[in-house]
Amino acid sequence: MNCNHHPDDSTLLSYGACSLPDALSMVVACHLAVCDHCHDKVADAEQIGFGLMEQEPVKSISKRSRDSMLAMLDEPVAEVCSETPIISDDLSDGDIPAPLRPMIGQWFSDLHWRTMAPGMKQFILPASQGKLRLLKIAPGTFMPSHGHSGSELTLVLKGSYSDELGRFSLGDVADVDPDMSHQPVADTHEGCICLIATDGPLRFKGLVPRLLQPFFQL
Amino acid sequence: MVHLRLVETSMEFKPDQAAQKQDFRLILVDLAKSRDKQLFMQLYDYFAPRLKSFLVRKGANEELAEELVQETLLSVWRKTASYDPAKATASTWIFRIARNLWIDRLRKEKPDMLSPLNSYPEAGYTPSMAACDSGRLKDALGALPQQQAQLVYKVYYEGKSHREIAEDMDMPIGSVKSGLRLAFDKLRVRIGGES
Repeated sequence: MNCNHHPDDSTLLSYGACSLPDALSMVVACHLAVCDHCHDKVADAEQIGFGLMEQEPVKSISKRSRDSMLAMLDEPVAEVCSETPIISDDLSDGDIPAPLRPMIGQWFSDLHWRTMAPGMKQFILPASQGKLRLLKIAPGTFMPSHGHSGSELTLVLKGSYSDELGRFSLGDVADVDPDMSHQPVADTHEGCICLIATDGPLRFKGLVPRLLQPFFQL
Repeated sequence: MVHLRLVETSMEFKPDQAAQKQDFRLILVDLAKSRDKQLFMQLYDYFAPRLKSFLVRKGANEELAEELVQETLLSVWRKTASYDPAKATASTWIFRIARNLWIDRLRKEKPDMLSPLNSYPEAGYTPSMAACDSGRLKDALGALPQQQAQLVYKVYYEGKSHREIAEDMDMPIGSVKSGLRLAFDKLRVRIGGES
């Protein structure tokens, strides 16, 4: 897929280093599922990390472990393939990106969306670091204008939206600089579904959105 | 494998490192066919202590680290047929298996941490850096301006997020990101990737 907007290189670096908070990692993983361009950079970031680790002082391994390794080499390979369940990533089997499927299934329409405000529904996903949510915005609906106190990554999964930074369509990622305030609007007839990860609360502008903040759980 | 040898020898390694790098790649390829246990143990002796150190850094205790090292290398032994030397260096391939097993383990112990764990696919990405010599990498890191080196250190060695780094170093997140961007560019160039 040809994406026009990608995660920042610093985000890909941290992803490859395994240091991105998990909410943000999930957004990057879903983007990587459709973007070869970013694969290459992540591969380099991984390789830098493993190269650095290879140079670190080593930790000695017990002789017992070494011996048992040698013994295990003769064991028949029986149940090795149970590491990860096989989940279809075929687009005809669902519209939810493959990395999210183990958590929430295949189809957006099967989710229990909760209305946050007129024209805006959300579905909260589990994350141990940061917040992760799916947001469904009806055509023409504006999000309240907001800035951030941490990082925010937004990936478009259906439809498109526009804001001060440009137009974002399927597969595009907005890696918003925290100093930047923006007000997205869903700009096609089908509305827009986004996966949004934040690392630190959003800062809404204006009194009414600020009062809404607790309800948004942002 | 002729083509592979050409690629590897064209890199400017110190002789001993060159020998080592070439060996591990070719050893993996060889193992898929020969199933030679003694040859495998050479690989074990090099990687086991390094993987253990890596896993301890990630937060595993000594005992768990050693257990995961065993699991990783057994998996290497069993999966050599799926190793593609054109797609990853031996160390990238092996460390990635260790990392994924570690993530798997976290998932079992902390089910509420579902999302990070699904997010690292095992997919064989193709690094643009031909074969990353870790000695050269350390030099490249040493050649960075001090602040950028510090940012990279915090990402790789301390596992910190951009926001945490911003707090630690008392600078805006935007500057953390631009510093990392510059450092990443330079490391990729110095190591042979494209920027």
